Amino acid sequence: MKTLLYLCMAFFTISASAQSQYEVGMKKAFDLWGENKMGEASNLFERIATAEKDNWIPVYYTSQVNVIKSFGEKDPAVLKAQLDKALDFLNQAKSLTEEDNPYIKVLEGQYYTAWITFDGMTYGMKYAGKVTTIYNEALALAPENPIVIFGKAQWDAGTAKYFGKPMQPFCADVQKAIELSQNFEPEGAFFPKFSSDRAQEFIDTNCKE
Amino acid sequence: MTLAIQSLRKFSILVFLCCFFSIFAQAQTNISGTITEKNGTPILGANVYLDGTYDGATSQLDGTFSFTTNETGQQTLVVSFVSFETFKITQEVTTFTNYKVVLIEDVNSLDTVVISAGSFEASDNSKVSVLKPLDVVTTASALGDFVGALQTLPGTTTVAEDGRLFVRGGDANETQIFIDGLRVFSPYTPTTANTPTRGRYSPFLFDGITFSTGGYSAEYGEALSSVLLLNTIDEPDQEKTEIGIMTVGGALGNTQKWDNSSLSVNGSYINLAPYVALLPDRNEWEKPFEVLSGETVYRHKIGDGLLKAYAAFDTTNFKLTLEDINVEDGILFGLKNNNFYANLSYQAPLGNKWKLLTGGSYTYTNNKTDFDTAAIHTDEKSIHVKAKVHKSFNSKFKWSFGAEQFMTDFDERFDTPFASGKIGYDNNITALFTEADYVFSRKFAVKLGLRGSYSDLFKEATVAPRISLAYKTGKNSQLSVAYGDFYQQPQSAYLKYTEDLHAAKSQHFIANYQYTANDRIFRAEIFRKEYTNLVTFTDPMASFDSAYGTDGKGYAQGLDLFFRDNSTIKNTDYWVSYSYLDSEREYLNYPIAATPNFANTHNFSVVGKYWIEDWKSQVGFSYQYGSGRSYTDPNLDGFLSQKTKGYNNLSVNWAYLLSEQTILYASVNNITNFKNVNGYQYADTPNPLGNFDRRTLRPAADQFFFIGLFITISEDGSDNQLDKL
Repeated sequence: MKTLLYLCMAFFTISASAQSQYEVGMKKAFDLWGENKMGEASNLFERIATAEKDNWIPVYYTSQVNVIKSFGEKDPAVLKAQLDKALDFLNQAKSLTEEDNPYIKVLEGQYYTAWITFDGMTYGMKYAGKVTTIYNEALALAPENPIVIFGKAQWDAGTAKYFGKPMQPFCADVQKAIELSQNFEPEGAFFPKFSSDRAQEFIDTNCKE
Repeated sequence: MTLAIQSLRKFSILVFLCCFFSIFAQAQTNISGTITEKNGTPILGANVYLDGTYDGATSQLDGTFSFTTNETGQQTLVVSFVSFETFKITQEVTTFTNYKVVLIEDVNSLDTVVISAGSFEASDNSKVSVLKPLDVVTTASALGDFVGALQTLPGTTTVAEDGRLFVRGGDANETQIFIDGLRVFSPYTPTTANTPTRGRYSPFLFDGITFSTGGYSAEYGEALSSVLLLNTIDEPDQEKTEIGIMTVGGALGNTQKWDNSSLSVNGSYINLAPYVALLPDRNEWEKPFEVLSGETVYRHKIGDGLLKAYAAFDTTNFKLTLEDINVEDGILFGLKNNNFYANLSYQAPLGNKWKLLTGGSYTYTNNKTDFDTAAIHTDEKSIHVKAKVHKSFNSKFKWSFGAEQFMTDFDERFDTPFASGKIGYDNNITALFTEADYVFSRKFAVKLGLRGSYSDLFKEATVAPRISLAYKTGKNSQLSVAYGDFYQQPQSAYLKYTEDLHAAKSQHFIANYQYTANDRIFRAEIFRKEYTNLVTFTDPMASFDSAYGTDGKGYAQGLDLFFRDNSTIKNTDYWVSYSYLDSEREYLNYPIAATPNFANTHNFSVVGKYWIEDWKSQVGFSYQYGSGRSYTDPNLDGFLSQKTKGYNNLSVNWAYLLSEQTILYASVNNITNFKNVNGYQYADTPNPLGNFDRRTLRPAADQFFFIGLFITISEDGSDNQLDKL
């Protein structure tokens, strides 16, 4: 019986290791990201992207890691270098996928938001309208996608908060995103995932009476 | 038995194969080495990998890396890291052990030295940028005029009644304005002699402004002192309608977007009649100032190319009685001006890193002037066409060359009770230019330019060399020097009487130091400018029978300082400019070399902006000081030897965001009501006591009040017109 168990375990281990190089690589990259090793995660996504020439997903994540890394960056030279890299990969990702990919739109919105966060005086007026347009386009492409709804709600809430407008409509949007996420299946392996933690965080900070 | 042998054989083959494969699988190659900068500093975080495989690693703190691969044979090792050029080498995979890679810095990065001598940029993507696009319209004294904002920068002199750009001892005609690289022949709205003019073009159509006070690129000619380069927006953000309601008029704008194209249309109407009725100024108006203007920009993407068409039309009308010391009842002066400007530009990559930029502009200006009993009608048509190709050989070496043609057809008809007639001229100028940029390293860059120009009118060619160097002296500081020759044809005021002239020449010598750190910029620039071949004439007024020459000369030299700080005081942004200028000229009908009345010695300005979060308001002020300007007092000896008192102006503004889409804006120019003096007009003949009487030249109004409400209607409702103010 024990032997059988070992056999079973061995079998499962084998089948687990029989994953494609792509899956292993992507998982490793997400792990690095999870450990906050952004630079290494970016490098690994970039290596996968150069190996998988027709796949937009690793290209997308290379760009996204560099965008996320740029939030809070204070040195303009570093920021520009990172965001230039992010834009470079964003454009590559665009060319590898259909024009109506809502995730690319959301990423584009995040890219411009990074500039606005860095220097609102300079980039706020320049890009704010653009970001709003991008999220509207994304929502038109995927009206029931929780990631898109949440991204747009976060952006809109930021503006509304500034003008002291009620948060209620955005809380409703985020709530809707959470509900939709219950039955939301990513379209493929390693497609962007809905972060229910961040959505809950939004509700906790903005939607308590 | 045979079966047994066979199966044994099969088995041994299998074992052999297994062994082989496991050997093969274990035939991994170790790849290792170090990555450093040129000077030996190890690089942390570089991405090292074999191209097209998953095999790779990130370099460690000491620059080392190591990973294993199953690949064999020739492989390409790639090392990439932000702000360094990507390194690639193809070799037998086993040779990549203890491999040393030296990464070369990417000279396109933000750390690279920038040639900054002479130029100021209002943009957001350049280190030499001293203004942000928004500043052009949020400077208190500027009243939404981009020229007004630039007058707070060093190198400009305060000529309050004029309003145009006077740069480093040069007169306003020595500054040329270009939209998308194409010349604007009549950039300013006409005004009365005591009211400053404004730029004709609304600032929010431009997203890049470069103001060069000397030493500019060989691409730009026909300007002795300065060029102002305005670039229109490539792609508007969104569809929107904008409404402006102001105390002096109204404005309406609309932007439409399609897949590959977009169209913006704006119109505005300004009428000073109600304002003048409420707050009378010093002018005796018959018909207060009235301007109707419209602008449109169409942009269309063709493949990778971009076509832009820009057109602007405005019509100005006013009539008043001008005060004059020699004419008791004053002189009737009326002006009707129509101005049309159109510009078409196209840029596209040509492949292999070549790029084409081409276009043309057309300016038509028509003036009907009534001056006392004389009627003067002028018509000026000008065309500028240009083509330029640009090649980036690599990130270090760039080369461009091009050709351009200017054509001007000027006609003037005059009718006076004594005489009438028609004068005019045709002026064609052909020019060729080339420029090479070489970046030796992030520390050292050179720009060399050459411009050749041929004037059809004078049958004369000129050659103008230009050179600039920049050297990075520290992490945050750099030194730039520039030299250049500049030529410009005389103004139509003289060309209409004689064509026997030469192009005026100026030479610029500039040294610039710039320090940038933590949202603070400090710039210091010294310059020397030599003028030769300036127009001279003999009479008190230039006319038909004056004797003209081009042997005038002069110089200007001085120091410009600029400091901007955006970080020391929270929510506060301010800049301070100071210019010292020493200039003399012997030109026009000057009997001796003297300081012209537009070249005062000291100019100082401070602009501050404070953002009040709780009030959703930006409040701002600007203060300008200009030392006294020269004038001639016929009661005393000397020419241009007297000085007026200094000029002072403190202006404040307040922009309040009523909601996301509505802004209330108010401003007061000269809030402390300084009584400024622009100069004096002396009587032609002495009074019975033998003295020449004088009249003080004052601004039409000491103060100006403005209130406006700006509303934006866009589909998504987040845009507002803050950037228009």
